[in-house]
Formats: sequence, C-alpha cells, structure tokens
Amino acid sequence: MRFNEKELVLLSRQPSERAAELGMRGPKKGDVVKKRLVKLVVNFLFYFRTDEEEPIGALLLEQCRVEREDSQTFSIAFLDEAERKYVFECDTEEQCAEWIDSIIKASYEFMRKNLIFYRTEIHRLTGKDPLEQYGISDEARFQVSNGRPLVARDTSSL
Amino acid sequence: MKLNERSVAHYATCDSPPDKTGFLFKKGERNTAYHRRWFVLKGNMLFYFEERDSREPIGVIVLEGCTVELCESTEEFAFAIKFDCAKARVYKMAAENQAAMESWVKALSRASFDYMRLVVKELERQLEEIQEAAGGSFVGAGVGNLQGRPKSSKRNHMGRSRSGASSSSSSSSSISSSSSSVPPMSASFSAQKNQQDELQLISGPSKENGVAWSKPPAALANGFVEGASSCAVWESSGDPANVTGYGADGARAPPVPPRRKGASLESPVCPGTGCFSKLHDWYGKEVEELRVQWLQSQ
Repeated sequence: MRFNEKELVLLSRQPSERAAELGMRGPKKGDVVKKRLVKLVVNFLFYFRTDEEEPIGALLLEQCRVEREDSQTFSIAFLDEAERKYVFECDTEEQCAEWIDSIIKASYEFMRKNLIFYRTEIHRLTGKDPLEQYGISDEARFQVSNGRPLVARDTSSL
Repeated sequence: MKLNERSVAHYATCDSPPDKTGFLFKKGERNTAYHRRWFVLKGNMLFYFEERDSREPIGVIVLEGCTVELCESTEEFAFAIKFDCAKARVYKMAAENQAAMESWVKALSRASFDYMRLVVKELERQLEEIQEAAGGSFVGAGVGNLQGRPKSSKRNHMGRSRSGASSSSSSSSSISSSSSSVPPMSASFSAQKNQQDELQLISGPSKENGVAWSKPPAALANGFVEGASSCAVWESSGDPANVTGYGADGARAPPVPPRRKGASLESPVCPGTGCFSKLHDWYGKEVEELRVQWLQSQ
C-alpha cells in the first residue's frame, strides 16, 4: 500500500505530545528489546534509533489496544492482528501509566467520541447545538450515535 | 520508513464510520493521466481504492499538516493537496462537479487531528463553563432561588464566548471536580504554533474592543431567565473606555459605563447586584446620576 512517506517523516519532526527513550520489542517471534527514541505525534507513534533524524518506523494508533504488561511495561496490539504485540519498557511505573494514558487518547476515534459526548451534553443542558456556530454541525463525523441531528429545543421552562 | 501497513489498511475497511467517501480523479505520479478512484476519508487519513468494492486500498495520503487549494488544471473542478516540506508531492485531484469539489475541499481541509483537537477542547471548555455556572447556584435544571450568586472565581462574566479566539485567555482545560461525568481528557496537549490560525478557521466574527458576545445558557445561574433572545455580557479586558456588545441579530446594545477596577460582579456600593438584572439597574442609575451631574454643570 502506498503512503506519503516524506510527509510522514516531516510529521515525525513536529512537536510531540510525549517523547522518551524506551525499550522497544517488535511483534515478531525472536524480536529483542532495543533502545529506541519513541515519539507520539498526533495519532502516530514514531520510533527512532537514538540520535538519528529519520524514524525507523511509524505506528498509526487507530483500532489498537494498549495494555499494561507489568508494572513498567505496556504493549500495543492492533485489532486485526491481536496476537502481534509491540512491547515498550519504561523506566518507572509512573512513566508507563502516562504513556498508556497518552496513547489511548491519541486516536482520532477517541477524540470523536469525546466530541460527540460534549456536544450531546451541551445540547442537553442548553438546548443549543454548540457546533452550529462553527458551521460544522452537519458533518458526518460529528453525528451522535442515533444518527439524528441535534435540534434546538424549547428550554424556557428550565 | 516502516509503517504498520496491514493495520492501516485494515483501518480503511473496518466498520468505523468514514467521514466522507466518493469518486475522485487523481493525477498519477508516473502516468500523469487522471485516474478515477474510490476515496475514503477517515480522520486524517485519505485512502484510495481502485474500485468501490475493492477489499484493500491502493494507497493512503496522511493529511496531517496539509493545505488544500483550488488549482489551475486542464481538468474541471480540480483541487490540490499540498504539504509544506521540501520536494513534497502535490496531489492533484478533480471532482465530478462543483458541489462535490467544494464538499471535498471543505472536508479535507478540516481533516487534521489538530483541528479535531481544537474543536474538542473548545467544547470541553464550554461544557465546563456551563457546568460551573449551573453548579454555583441551583441544583438540577429548575429555576432556583432568584437571588442566587454565580461562582465568579475565575472570571467576572457568565456564559461562553462566541469567538474561538477569545478562548486563548483560558488556556487551561483542567476539568473541575464538578464534571465527574466528563470523560477524562488530558490537558497536556502541546500547543501547536498554528493554533491561532486554526482558531480563525472555526471562529465566527471576532471580538471587538475586547468584548466577546456570549450566548448564555437558557437560564443564567442567577436565576435571571432570558427567553429566546440573548443578553450581552460584558467582559472587561483592562478598563475599556467604550465597550459594546452585540445582540443575537447583530443589533448593537448601548455602551456600558466602564467597569471599575477591581469590581466584582457584585458592586460594593449596591449589594445584591450579583443578579444581572439588578446590576443592570444599578448601572442605569449610575448613568442617570452622571447625566444629572453633567446637566447641573452646564
């Protein structure tokens, strides 16, 4: 599958949500732990050899599961190949927890769910659709799960 | 550079809802003819398939950091996806009609993770404000005690700002303890330097004279219930000499006397003015007094 590699490499140089040197083990049998600079940028996890400018690889963090393996280790597995795990070793429990949290929140799908939640909640409390003022209330990706658009309701009795 | 391609391809075809799909013509790289492909936009990933029912995409364009422009082309309804890096490829595309082109350009230019993040942050902030205003004086949604005082700890105005640009003053999105039902959102998203540009994209009319026109919730925390119309709320930035606000239909509200330095929502002179209508009356009285003084000095 083709992808725009140059632009992805450019993305890896953008300010990151989180970056650290971690021990990283690939999903294949026989892969060993190697020290890598791991960098989270939007919904991608880039990994570099320490002091190298160009990443070795990138993981798109959609449709994945993040799990705690032990007190300082977490893993990422993709739903289509649940047995293949990328394993990351952290220095401390705290660091491990922070990485897990960040990665869970790094997916577009996670943000979409939040947006729908906030939109629904604001509408419930105020009777108004907060996306209307931005002109994006009709976009497919922001629709609430029942598929019906949010309509302003009479809240004068509140 | 490696990519978890199998999983990325799976993302294209899995049952998560696409944000947009349709046929577009894409100019080839080597073969510079335009080829008709089936496109699926999910988040910041634009996949393209040979056919609508192909099981795997031919390729994907990661859209993060791109700009979308209309472009000159032999093809009608053409637009281009461009990136700001050296020797970046320009993806030339063409839609089948004007409406499709506009729709795709709009969707693609808002497809970035950053844009989504901004919108979510803004809504999170709005919800926080609403909950704060509501939580201060009455429980639930009933019209509570009319003399209730709003929580005016952080700001001395109620409601939320209409313009996205004004939210730069409340940069922190730490979730207050009252919103326990809100899913945890990390407040540590790094500020992107193009954030201001993005905010311009999503904001409507910008502030004037440092005043944001706010749409209050249906019932203000102080029990002052406005019907369908809006009430303008003044936000002081410094000590503006002349402050105007705008009503729902863009009609100008009359200017308010400058806010005294250090004034809270409750006037020290006239207690009980936590209630907006009372404050409004009090200002009216002040204006009247000034008029009388001026007339007397003539």
